[in-house]
Amino acid sequence: MQVTIQTFIGGMSLGAIYALVAMGFSLVYRTMGLVNFAHGNVVMVGAYLASTFFLSTRLPFALAMVVAIGATGVVGVVIERALRPLENKDFDLMLIGTIGFGIVLEALAIIIWGATGHAVPSPVPVPPLDILGVRVRTYDLMVLGIAAAATAALMLFLQRTKRGAAMQAVAMDHEAATAVGIHVGRSNAIAFVIGAALAALAGGLVGPMLYVNPSMGGSLGIKGFAGAVLGGFGSIPGAIIGGLVIGVLDSFAAGHFQGYSELVLFVVFTVIIMIRPTGIFGEKTVNRA
Amino acid sequence: MSLFARRRVAVPLLTAALASAALALAACSPPGSNNTPSGNENGPIKIALVDAQSGQLSSLGAWELKGARLAVNEWNKAGGVNGRQIQLDVFDDQGDPTTGTNVARKIVSEGYIAMLGTAESAVTIAMAPILRDAKIPNITSGQSPGLVAVGSPFLFLNGPTSTTYDATLAKYLVETKGLKNIAMITNNGAYGKGEHDAFLKALSARNVTPVADQVVTADQKDFSAVLTGIRQKNPEVIFLGAEEVESGLIVKQARSLGITAPFAGGAPMGTPVFADTAGLANIEGSIVSSPYLSNDVSEASRKFAAAYKAAYGEDAELHGAKAYDGAQILLTALKNSNIATGQALADAIRAVKHEGLLGNFSYDNTGVGISATAIGEIENGKLVAATS
Repeated sequence: MQVTIQTFIGGMSLGAIYALVAMGFSLVYRTMGLVNFAHGNVVMVGAYLASTFFLSTRLPFALAMVVAIGATGVVGVVIERALRPLENKDFDLMLIGTIGFGIVLEALAIIIWGATGHAVPSPVPVPPLDILGVRVRTYDLMVLGIAAAATAALMLFLQRTKRGAAMQAVAMDHEAATAVGIHVGRSNAIAFVIGAALAALAGGLVGPMLYVNPSMGGSLGIKGFAGAVLGGFGSIPGAIIGGLVIGVLDSFAAGHFQGYSELVLFVVFTVIIMIRPTGIFGEKTVNRA
Repeated sequence: MSLFARRRVAVPLLTAALASAALALAACSPPGSNNTPSGNENGPIKIALVDAQSGQLSSLGAWELKGARLAVNEWNKAGGVNGRQIQLDVFDDQGDPTTGTNVARKIVSEGYIAMLGTAESAVTIAMAPILRDAKIPNITSGQSPGLVAVGSPFLFLNGPTSTTYDATLAKYLVETKGLKNIAMITNNGAYGKGEHDAFLKALSARNVTPVADQVVTADQKDFSAVLTGIRQKNPEVIFLGAEEVESGLIVKQARSLGITAPFAGGAPMGTPVFADTAGLANIEGSIVSSPYLSNDVSEASRKFAAAYKAAYGEDAELHGAKAYDGAQILLTALKNSNIATGQALADAIRAVKHEGLLGNFSYDNTGVGISATAIGEIENGKLVAATS
């Protein structure tokens, strides 16, 4: 029992990270119909920026995170600007363009920070809580809290603000949205910026849990993407649930199947997707790809 | 209109594609590669260094490069080998066997006479058949027993194999310390698999069965399930067979789950990357089997560490020292054989008796030149020779 609960908690803390990554994937997809393959690498850039500000300029962690989120948002703007001419013209080229950007970001990170990477000490040096023999790291609780807050903020933005409603409209029908005077390009830019900011949040938070290096985007990106698909690609609540499910599944697979955990995780994922291709919260509104 | 739009479309994408292509190329191709063979002439002696310069194993690659380059620079400053300068070109294998075989073909076609690296046994094993056919000697930093199993007369190791590391470690844990309650965590990569088999064999030779034998994937990030299971077995020591970063993450998570038993392992646990990832307080008391415990073991290592620090501004460690030894052996063989190539160079390497940083090298037919490691313990964040 203790093993089960502990495994669940371990899975939840990484699952919260996957959920944030999945939200970024889903937000860009629902708005533009585009899978941003550079997203994992944007997470890596966010992790580097946050840890660099935290370690070398000795900014408090929260402030370093804010600066990193802002700077990574700029990366999102750059990607969207470069891809904008392709909007609604050549979708395949746009996909390949995001892959290219991913490679460029990884290479830039190697040039700027070196290939070796660095470890980030935990910003909350409090010993873990001990609840009936189950250990809960305080930092993990903080990560879960921040992820929940970010989700709530994003949902409020999409449902309660005019700009958010406009983005929803673009997601449903971009031609009709244009007809009523919504600037589709700006809507896409905002989606990319928020997506990049979520990536930076995920990257900055995951730094002290793992190890920051130029290739870290790969596995975080794939599991985040899997989370987004599992939850229902394009759905924000789906991304949260999907990310957490992937994290927990991964954790249990590691306990039961050891070296074959990755295989088992993705077989289970494939079976779920075959049974329910739209994912848990599959939406009919997003139909642009 | 549409034509105009189309052209405008292509520009940013092309720029992105070109930039990524240029960067990818810059990462793969060696600086100043050309096709002049350097057998018996007066140009520089061309030696290839193949290591991961990008990807997850790039820390290893960076250390190896620094160690090998230090040795080459020393020789070049002293006038080269028999009056000829040494040209050390770097190739990136990305820690990937497929990339490695491509690099091997490139080395053959561009006329390199010897190769240093790689640090990843799986890559070296993939490259070995091509290098054997082309008769290009290779001094690798890998340590998997699989390297010996390849049986290539052109493949040499610049350190002991996992078998040596783990036999020494098991002997120390079981016989010197009297520990019988041992748990194991290894990963399913080439290094981890080698460590798993070698350590398990060394334990069973002493009639000890591990209380837990857990395998993780090389890319795993959360070890809650594995570690909680091990915590319930309450082992006296936990053996780790995984690369630097993963070992560090395991130790960090183990401590936060309340596991207090010390960890024991091979080379990765003596590195600064391991210490940084795990956190200094968490690695106290770790037991490490290594042929190069610290920069203070001998006069030669102090000299090496000072030169390393002067050149790169950081402290030397095992992998740099291994690569330095490997390069010294190769250059000595070149000097002794009057810059031979192919079979003659391989024979010359086998004949070298080198007093290196890791100990006294003397190669046998298996390509292993050294078969001893020492046991160290981490005290106050520093690896020191074990006293008991």
